[in-house]
Amino acid sequence: MLYEFKLPVIVPQMSGATVECLYSARDDSLRLGSKLMDLSVDLSSAFAQECPPVSFYRLVLREAVYLRQIDVQPGQHCALGDRIALFSTDPSEPIDQETTRQVRYTIAGIIHHDGMWTGSHS
Amino acid sequence: MNGIPLRFGPLASDGYAIVRSGLRWLRESGQFCRAGQPIAYCNVSLEPASVRVGRHHAVADELELQVVFAPRVSGRLTIHPEMARGGYLSIRGVDAWKPDTVLGHIEPDQPVEEGDPGRLRLMVVAGRRMTALADVHSGLLPGWNGRSRGWWCEEGETPVTLLSLGLCDATGVILGEQCAFLEMFEAASDAMQFVFVPDHPVAPCAPVLLDQLTRTPAQFDALAEDLRRFLGTSAVPPTADDWMFAGALLSVLRNTPLKDNYNIISSTGTRRLGPPDAALLSLSAEPQSILRHRTLGYHLHIMRHHQAAAGPAIQAWLSSAFEPVKRSIDVIRQDYEKLIDTLARTTGGRILVLNRMSTSGYEDISNYMAFDAPMSATLSNIAAKEQNLMLHDIAETRELTIIDVDALAAELGAGQHLPDGIHQSGQMQVALRQRILQAMADIRDATPDVRVAGRDH
Repeated sequence: MLYEFKLPVIVPQMSGATVECLYSARDDSLRLGSKLMDLSVDLSSAFAQECPPVSFYRLVLREAVYLRQIDVQPGQHCALGDRIALFSTDPSEPIDQETTRQVRYTIAGIIHHDGMWTGSHS
Repeated sequence: MNGIPLRFGPLASDGYAIVRSGLRWLRESGQFCRAGQPIAYCNVSLEPASVRVGRHHAVADELELQVVFAPRVSGRLTIHPEMARGGYLSIRGVDAWKPDTVLGHIEPDQPVEEGDPGRLRLMVVAGRRMTALADVHSGLLPGWNGRSRGWWCEEGETPVTLLSLGLCDATGVILGEQCAFLEMFEAASDAMQFVFVPDHPVAPCAPVLLDQLTRTPAQFDALAEDLRRFLGTSAVPPTADDWMFAGALLSVLRNTPLKDNYNIISSTGTRRLGPPDAALLSLSAEPQSILRHRTLGYHLHIMRHHQAAAGPAIQAWLSSAFEPVKRSIDVIRQDYEKLIDTLARTTGGRILVLNRMSTSGYEDISNYMAFDAPMSATLSNIAAKEQNLMLHDIAETRELTIIDVDALAAELGAGQHLPDGIHQSGQMQVALRQRILQAMADIRDATPDVRVAGRDH
């Protein structure tokens, strides 16, 4: 079966998120609890103020899958609903089929760290 | 005309005449007005009463100086529209301050118990510009102020002073909707002074405040020279953004708000207040990594969205002249304890701290196995919980007042009232104001001499 990860609403006012770092590469076998990526949500476009609330989140998988395709790089901004990654339950399963559902994941608020795009490139 | 005439009442500055502009209204005729609710304001200036006094009056370094008026009783308001002169005459001083000037009337909505209900409550607000170029005429405390304050007191009272050094979680609570202390003025009838220092360009975390408390003039000269030398020889040509950022940075680093004394003008003339009785900090201002100057040793914490205001040369200076230093929770605790002890020893001031929101509706962690220990190094809510507990540990051995944002947000509903963990709703700000005012009342009660004589610092 094919699963996808489309950027979900993490914070109600967000229109997108920036990929801060990736923890997995194409064809990786990912276990339950594997880190997928860190994202940042910057609400300064939603609220015109001098103190943009920027928050950071980690996506962790809640099921074992194979990462078959990942379409983003650190620093890339994604809009809500953009497909970011594609997974399969079988490593050789063709990926040119309809996806079954969104992959199961956990979202956790995290602290900014040195491996992030923000702070090292912007 | 029916109702109680609302008159200015006395306001004086020793050796100077107070001159005021026309009024600018905050309420209109026919509107209901609460007791203590600001209804109008004007600009004031202090003019030498004789040739023997110079222009360096009590608040000479505060180019923004205004008076806010509020009735002592609630009721229906009728204003005298001719008091608003309009145009520049509502900005520049055009009339002498006269205590018997009447700005309107109020028809009380309940029996009046005040001894002199027609005498307006006055709050004086003053702003020290970050640069004299920030010459803006719009509204209350306009422009870019490096320090702003508002105070009110009756005859025989000495205000207790709270200095706000927090982030956005303190700013809205202290300054209020119009950034001029109006809500605090309405909420507190006791004599008080609120002082606000913004969090830019340097965020007020404990190491930065400790550096300020102990920095000598020679040390300031050294850091200023270091910055001048870098900008003068930098391979990256400084831009206008760099120069403005550098000027703001030096302006902040040369000050020590925790040790400032304050002159006030009042109904009985000029008074001098000592350093703040209390300082309000944000636990959210404490970073887990801070910049330390490689040779001079001082600390900087510039929040990311403020760093973006710097040009390329300042960015290069921050990268080359400073090194990031990790701060464990034990280090943060030690810095807080040192700050509390140093402040108690040097000024007698106490610390109030806004703790951190430690839960979020935007995460859905069902299993922590995926996160490495120590989880407080990764998960922001675990870090917040540990830091909140740290405050209670400190409070067991030192005078520290914790304003429990975390509990209040949980009580009110954080999704509605503190959606990003920092920026509160109006309702939550009202509740936080009440808690801060209660803490200040406790401080006033603990030092009863404050009310009549103030402390001698």
